Amino acid sequence: MDLDNLASLEYFYPEIILAGAILLVIVLDLVIKNKRVIGALSILGCLASLGATLQLYSGPSGFLFHRMMVLDHFSLFFKIVALAATILVLWMSFSSREVASLHQGEYATILLSSALGMFFMASATNLLMAYLSLEMVSITSYILTGFLPRNRRSSEAALKYLIYGGVASGAMIYGMSWIFGMTGSLDYSQIHAALFQGQPNQLALFIAFVLILAGFGYKIVFVPFHMWSPDVYQGAPTPFTAFLSVASNAAGVAILLRFFFPGVSQLGPDGSWRFLSGVEWPQFLLIVSMVTMTLGNLSALGQQNLKRMLAYSGIAHAGYILMGLVVLNTEGLQAMLFYIVVYLIMNLGAFLVVVLVANATGKEEIDGYRGLAWRGSAVPAIAMAIFLFSLTGLPPLAGFVGKFFLFAAVIKQQFYLLALVAVANSVISLYYYARVVKVMFLDFPEASDGRVELNPGAATLLGLLSVMTLVFGIYWGPLVAFTSQSLQFFTK
Amino acid sequence: MEVGTVVFYLIALLVVASAAMVAFSHNIIYSAFSLLGTFAGVAGIYVFLGADFVAAVQLLIYVGGILVLILFAVMLTHRITDVQITNRSAGVVPGLIIVGLLFWLLYETITTTPWAKAKEIAYAATSAKIGDQFLQSYLLPFELASIVLLAALIGAVVLARKEMKG
Amino acid sequence: MSDPFFPVLVLFAFAAVVVLALLFIAQTVGPKRMTAVKADPFESGNPPQGDARIRFPVHFYLVAMLFLIFDLEVVFLYPWAVSFRRLGVFGLVEMGIFLLIVVIGFIYAWKKGALDLD
Repeated sequence: MDLDNLASLEYFYPEIILAGAILLVIVLDLVIKNKRVIGALSILGCLASLGATLQLYSGPSGFLFHRMMVLDHFSLFFKIVALAATILVLWMSFSSREVASLHQGEYATILLSSALGMFFMASATNLLMAYLSLEMVSITSYILTGFLPRNRRSSEAALKYLIYGGVASGAMIYGMSWIFGMTGSLDYSQIHAALFQGQPNQLALFIAFVLILAGFGYKIVFVPFHMWSPDVYQGAPTPFTAFLSVASNAAGVAILLRFFFPGVSQLGPDGSWRFLSGVEWPQFLLIVSMVTMTLGNLSALGQQNLKRMLAYSGIAHAGYILMGLVVLNTEGLQAMLFYIVVYLIMNLGAFLVVVLVANATGKEEIDGYRGLAWRGSAVPAIAMAIFLFSLTGLPPLAGFVGKFFLFAAVIKQQFYLLALVAVANSVISLYYYARVVKVMFLDFPEASDGRVELNPGAATLLGLLSVMTLVFGIYWGPLVAFTSQSLQFFTK
Repeated sequence: MEVGTVVFYLIALLVVASAAMVAFSHNIIYSAFSLLGTFAGVAGIYVFLGADFVAAVQLLIYVGGILVLILFAVMLTHRITDVQITNRSAGVVPGLIIVGLLFWLLYETITTTPWAKAKEIAYAATSAKIGDQFLQSYLLPFELASIVLLAALIGAVVLARKEMKG
Repeated sequence: MSDPFFPVLVLFAFAAVVVLALLFIAQTVGPKRMTAVKADPFESGNPPQGDARIRFPVHFYLVAMLFLIFDLEVVFLYPWAVSFRRLGVFGLVEMGIFLLIVVIGFIYAWKKGALDLD
């Protein structure tokens, strides 16, 4: 399918519903006084959009809007991920005392706009769309990072984010201009044809790719484009930090895969991708992946603030996810998609506990977790232990299965050094994750430590996320089937 | 040398000299005003490329809007002119070496790459063509831009109001 | 002289000559009698009060930002207006959606008092 504007509308319901929800929320915010309605309406909009997305999953694939975007399983997968993250984060925001003090309508509108931007990041097949959608996600992220009123750290984080983001997107669009200059087109399939037919200058191509990678890499948070993340994660409102850590990361992976795989590589019959000859891409990514995970884990060791620790752990996980890219085959990509889903569940869970503890004590530092299991309900402490052990990659939790697939893909292609470094990193990460667990269970609370209260909404969400972490650690078949089905690019 | 080439180099000189002023001036107000030359010069370069509409937009948005915004930002910041942290001369030599190497690399690559060149530059009005493209093949980015603008507007209002209250 | 850029060159030369000439004339012909009053900052004839380097209220920034956003909107309107006849009703609807979304932003800013100057 290659549809024009009017014919595309039929396959465009998820985006239309989400855009409608954005407009409705901001208009209703002006007239309605009850702010709970706004939150409920945003979730409803996301659910409706999710329904439309799932319906399209069984439908045909094709280009929409004069090849501006593509409808295929790959894009739908990332739309589902973005929507799931948005719904869970909105749900999480209900229980957050921090978010309760903010402008609810604006918060929801900008969060939904960010999700809409991620939709287009996942499906853009034109450099202009790719740039615009990435900017949309970036702009909304800067706003939400600086959302906390009269909070120096939040404003500082937003400023740092803006400056790093500006430089990264500037580098990216410069790289895109090189691609346009070499191929004379913004359209992915025409770029593909021009690059594979002609004799492109290898060095120019390499420079252009590295520049573009700066823009994508800053969304995925890999070294050396990671510098913004600890400050931003710490300064932003916690539910939004959770959103940033999972959804923004996933959207970055989506735009990267779309550009580097169907865009500038060719799929062989055996499921391995052949990158443009002459560009040593796997070697380059191999080093980036190893440095990213090592640096993230080593920096996380000394952190006292949980949000900051999870930021560094997020960098490390970006390194793990990149492992799937190094092998340049379908198995690796599939492992990446699987890990993204698993990471979404366990990381959102960990941030939910951070929100609950911050509600009770106002603290994000590790001493706020002292004896958490013995202060009020023990559920948050147990759930947190599950999420942290899953993030480490211990069986029988979902994180273990995710890492297993990534390691298997890497070892099959005989990247032993990478696998070794990744295993060593998992061991290092056990130290700082287990330290939190130790503080929660083995230390005794002091009289001044507040009791952690669970409201029904937060308890349900916490239960849901921990059960999913457990279930996908034992029964991963359906998720594997879903991710392998989702790895379908439409290119013709 | 053709007249057009002379004019081009004059404009390029304006752009580069102003950009150097932005980077090397020790007073942030001078830096901000020097952007005027860069922005206006880039508009001139757009004219050379036969992009009259983009040149007009460059003047309207960058010179008329963004430059004013930057000047406001400078004036809004309390005692910004008292702080001399901008453009310290530390690390000039390594900086110059890195920039020089980068420049050499880009120069070598740009001059040896076969670029997909346009057939010939036509100096004709482009706005009608841009209008057609916007509302036909580039409709999606066009409409998406409105939502980006909306989000930016809401963000500007929220972030500025949180400063104003109290 | 059929080169299309010849007038531009003339304009450049003209601008340079005029500016340099004015500066030169002011420098050589103009009398220089400095007094204390002349050295004061100019505040529309009133005696200057306070420091010139005060911090501007953040409201100016907000107004500039809103101006920029609506400036961009007008930029999008212009090419549409030029090719309006060719595009017909379809173009009108498309522009209507675009404007609707931006106008919602305008109403929002208005209702929230972002345009009030107090």
